Amino acid sequence: MGNDRYDVVVVGAGPAGSSAALLMANNNLSVAMLERGPYPGSKNMSGGTIASMPFQEILPEYWNIDGIPLERKIVSDELWMLDNDSAVKMGFSGKKFGYAPYNKFSILRYKFDKWYADQAVAAGAKLFNNCLAIDLVYHKTGLLSKKVDGVVLEGGDIIHADLVVLAEGSSAALTQKIGLRQRLNPADMTLYVKEVLELPSGKIEERFSLEGDEGAVIGMVGYPTSPAIGKGGIWTNKDSLSIVVGAYLNQIVNKGLNPLQLMERFKSHPMIKKLIEGAKPIKYLAHTIPKGGFKKIPTLVDDGVIVVGDAAEMISGRRGIDLAMITGKFAAEAAAQACALDDYSRETLSSYVKRIKGSFFYENMRKGKNVEEYFNTYQDSDFLITKAMNDLAFKYFKQDLENNKIRLRKMIEELKNMQPLQKTGKDLLYGLQNWEVW
Amino acid sequence: MGNFAKSDTNPLEYVKIIPDSKSHIFIKDDGICIEECENKPCTYYCPTRVFYWEDDSIKILYKRCIECGACPFGCPYDNIAWENPRGGYGVVY
Ligand SMILES: Cc1cc2nc3c(=O)[nH]c(=O)nc-3n(C[C@H](O)[C@H](O)[C@H](O)COP(=O)(O)OP(=O)(O)OC[C@H]3O[C@@H](n4cnc5c(N)ncnc54)[C@H](O)[C@@H]3O)c2cc1C
Ligand code: SF4
Ligand code: SF4
Repeated sequence: MGNDRYDVVVVGAGPAGSSAALLMANNNLSVAMLERGPYPGSKNMSGGTIASMPFQEILPEYWNIDGIPLERKIVSDELWMLDNDSAVKMGFSGKKFGYAPYNKFSILRYKFDKWYADQAVAAGAKLFNNCLAIDLVYHKTGLLSKKVDGVVLEGGDIIHADLVVLAEGSSAALTQKIGLRQRLNPADMTLYVKEVLELPSGKIEERFSLEGDEGAVIGMVGYPTSPAIGKGGIWTNKDSLSIVVGAYLNQIVNKGLNPLQLMERFKSHPMIKKLIEGAKPIKYLAHTIPKGGFKKIPTLVDDGVIVVGDAAEMISGRRGIDLAMITGKFAAEAAAQACALDDYSRETLSSYVKRIKGSFFYENMRKGKNVEEYFNTYQDSDFLITKAMNDLAFKYFKQDLENNKIRLRKMIEELKNMQPLQKTGKDLLYGLQNWEVW
Repeated sequence: MGNFAKSDTNPLEYVKIIPDSKSHIFIKDDGICIEECENKPCTYYCPTRVFYWEDDSIKILYKRCIECGACPFGCPYDNIAWENPRGGYGVVY
């Protein structure tokens, strides 16, 4: 493999890398894709679901493609505000989402990423597994200027390419090494652990009120990660459940939390216990999510290099896989242009940045900036608001002997005792924006 | 929260790891762990408890690492050097 030359080398075969490789190969570029694991997906995890509309931009009607490892079509989405032994539940169930073009599907990354990389291979990209890139190589373009010209593999082999696409995911060692991304603080990332629990499909459908291959997602805040800001969640797969819990890394560190213990505690909540009863753990996984948001977006292009997906901090709300795919697509478009001009300079490649700046998620990320700041300042807001909601709901639904006026007054009194009402309102407002976020 | 060695669950029972013969995780300066770092958070934030404190230094069970990516960022003194394991080694989900 040593000293080969390609038009493009893609580092990392997650959704970002495979999307870029697939579309570039479709455009007749020669592409090498490197994956450090024994197969794509072997190192990767999400909750998770994949959003249908963005995926269709890359593979129209993907659900009809042979062998695609989709788990369940999601028709029910809920948010639970959990307290010790109660929950306030909000949600939406839409049978419409059960028909093409669908809304989202649950997936398991160790199956999905492998299949997706195979689509890139079928289009002509070359995939190298067990292959870790450790550095970039440059060639001089002037007295003081240089351009990326490929990657160095462990062991010293070099793969030359006009363009390197860094699709290396959250930890992004190379992107940091070449100075495009600054070091993240623990406040700029979340750490999640996950278990996959085997459960017969019939039981899943019964417990989550589903029919056939319909699926459900439940996101949870409050109890699972209190006193830290974080989230828990359950996803239904074909014959397993994914259960996930995690929080901001700085809060895990400062509050002395252990992720595995969070998981144990989460699983023992009476309402969760019932959902997972009898299910057998078959996997334990952990991963970070880059949550630096808008202000930490790295430099996205340089001479001969483009950064995509998690490495580029492209996370908005609960969504990451689809943003990884779309940034991979944008990179392929910029590469096609660069190839036609035979010019891989930063100026030409900056059409990639332009595409990102015009995207829906860039706008969402820009808006999301304030939410992140709020939660870093008020680290107990999630806990307070879920507590308040549960207390209120308890009083509201409880059949007692007081007249309604007194009941209402008591409820308001209690809210006021907790913290100023204005603050509670604000917590709720920011919470609603944040809970969408994984 | 306490030490999760006390917990009787061992999540590594259902994780597949192909361990390399040498570590991909190092402490940069043992002195910092002893003198500066009071809480030693690496011993609790790691999801598989790779780090533990014994005989005045942090010990590293690198073969337990599932590559979540947290440890270089979670250490308040930037005292952990973590690299990707060599290609093909490490966790296989
Ligand atoms: C708990 C959790 C839940 C989530 N839930 C959702 C969800 O429901 N929906 C959603 O859309 N998103 C979700 N996300 C986010 C989503 O997982 C990421 O945004 C997405 O995986 C990013 O894709 P990527 O291709 O950029 O990176 P990754 O998927 O991380 O892929 C990077 C790849 O590069 C490889 N690699 C890294 N470095 C090198 C190197 N030097 N040489 C060779 N190979 C290398 C890795 O092995 C890996 O295969 C979730 C994330 C977590 C942690
Ligand atoms: S957190 Fe960092 S400084 Fe503290 S004990 Fe662990 S490695 Fe040492
Ligand atoms: S990468 Fe994650 S699992 Fe591995 S040692 Fe660091 S914190 Fe532990």
